[in-house]
Amino acid sequence: MTAMIDLKNVSYRYPVSDDSVLKNISFSIEKGKFTAIIGNNGSGKTTLCNTIRGFVPHFYKGDLDGEVIIDQTKITDYQLGQLGEKVGYVFQNPFIQVSGVKDNVFEEVAYGLENLGIPVEEIKIRVEEVLKLVKIEYLRDKNPFELSGGQRQRVALASIIVMDPEILVIDEPTSQLDPIGTQQIFEIIRLMKERGKTIVLVEHKMDLIAEYADDLLVMHKGELVMQGPVREVFADPEFEKYQIQYPHVTEIALQLQQSGIPLSFLPIRDEELADALNRTEVAAHD
Amino acid sequence: MKQNILLQLHPMTKFYFTLFIFAVVLISPGYIFSFAIFPILILIAMLAGVAKEFLNIVIKALVTVLIFIFIMQMFFYPGENVLWEWGIFEIKQEGIKYGLLLTSRILAIGSAFILFFRMTEVRDFVKSLEDIGLPPMGAYVVLSTLQIIPEMRRQANTIMEAQKTRGVETEGSIFVRAKAFIPTLTPLILSSIAGTEERAITLESRAFSAPVKKTSLHQLSKSNMDRALPIVFALVVIGLIVWRFFL
Repeated sequence: MTAMIDLKNVSYRYPVSDDSVLKNISFSIEKGKFTAIIGNNGSGKTTLCNTIRGFVPHFYKGDLDGEVIIDQTKITDYQLGQLGEKVGYVFQNPFIQVSGVKDNVFEEVAYGLENLGIPVEEIKIRVEEVLKLVKIEYLRDKNPFELSGGQRQRVALASIIVMDPEILVIDEPTSQLDPIGTQQIFEIIRLMKERGKTIVLVEHKMDLIAEYADDLLVMHKGELVMQGPVREVFADPEFEKYQIQYPHVTEIALQLQQSGIPLSFLPIRDEELADALNRTEVAAHD
Repeated sequence: MKQNILLQLHPMTKFYFTLFIFAVVLISPGYIFSFAIFPILILIAMLAGVAKEFLNIVIKALVTVLIFIFIMQMFFYPGENVLWEWGIFEIKQEGIKYGLLLTSRILAIGSAFILFFRMTEVRDFVKSLEDIGLPPMGAYVVLSTLQIIPEMRRQANTIMEAQKTRGVETEGSIFVRAKAFIPTLTPLILSSIAGTEERAITLESRAFSAPVKKTSLHQLSKSNMDRALPIVFALVVIGLIVWRFFL
């Protein structure tokens, strides 16, 4: 597998601040992998996303050290406009992610494709498909400025995935959504993964990360402190140090272990708990 | 959708018509002709079904200005034939004549432009400008301004409410309301400035600066009428010029 996103010793400092927001970060993400970035507020997750998308250093100035390589090419060798097609970025604040020139959701979603110069007939087909996928067909004639937070978040996601980028960087896409809406978004992300997209997701909902993501990057105060497959990272005792939430079931399992109930492995998904308990019993009977 | 032949004309055709009125008024002598244009515009507005709004704006925006200009000209335009005198104020015949000429022209040209914007959606107009070479950046600026104004009004209301919960008095006499204006305005302006950065990123994430030619869902079509009318306008203007200056 080839590395789609490759960071080597990346440090970054915003123009007017004294401290580095990113400190010596190195990792690489293979094509087609779903990687979640977790960490507490202010740990540099969003800045990391900006770096992958190329807004650092193309848009935000400041000092960037190290190398960021997207699809075998250094980020500094891209023009900002070229990256638009390659890396889709859905960012945190859904209220600002509106182009501001379109009167309805259909055209809003189509806006990115217009900018990419896709023929009109194809735009219509692709927008229809994405509206259906993200379940916002009923909003098609609404003004994007008059939507609720959750609706805007879906529109923002739709506007990016319609452009069909190879890499999707998604920063907290479910902050305004109810549990069902959240689940649906994760289903969409899974679908994108099945289509071979490389996905980088910032999220705080650990249960869903445990269920859907392949790999985990743990950020703490600007440093990348842990990385690896989801299960390994949660199972690592070091994880507890960073005061980040566990998936609920893992939390329960850890408490069970503390009170002396043996588990054969540390479950990270709800349905695994019974399994973890059962197997030890079997083992005990033997 | 209402099928109105006038409204369905290409924005450029409507714009040419406005320029046509502009040229006709400037070329034609005297005020009677220019004043005669106004009823024609009202007729067009009626046919297009926008007469009410059209007259409303003309009265609100133009009439007071016109009266003011007319009075100024009446009193202060240099001339010999004094009709009426009071202290330093003199009404002169030349002043009245010039005042009528000036107001007739402003009325005709001003209302032609008002009619144009009543009959044309701005986004159609901007699209037609884009078609003839306005850079997308410029088109964006015009269009986003239109959408952002109501958005800012909404935001101003939110800020106002927020300040109310913090104890800023926002209701009462004009003085009280004026005082409440400052704590509302400052956050509004600051947040708008901060918002531009995020908006720039939004546009960038939608590939706004992608190095390709953009396409558009919004297409304008030209009918035979749209091809014929500008030629008619041009011929009439040329005819007028010849009549006025060469015959």
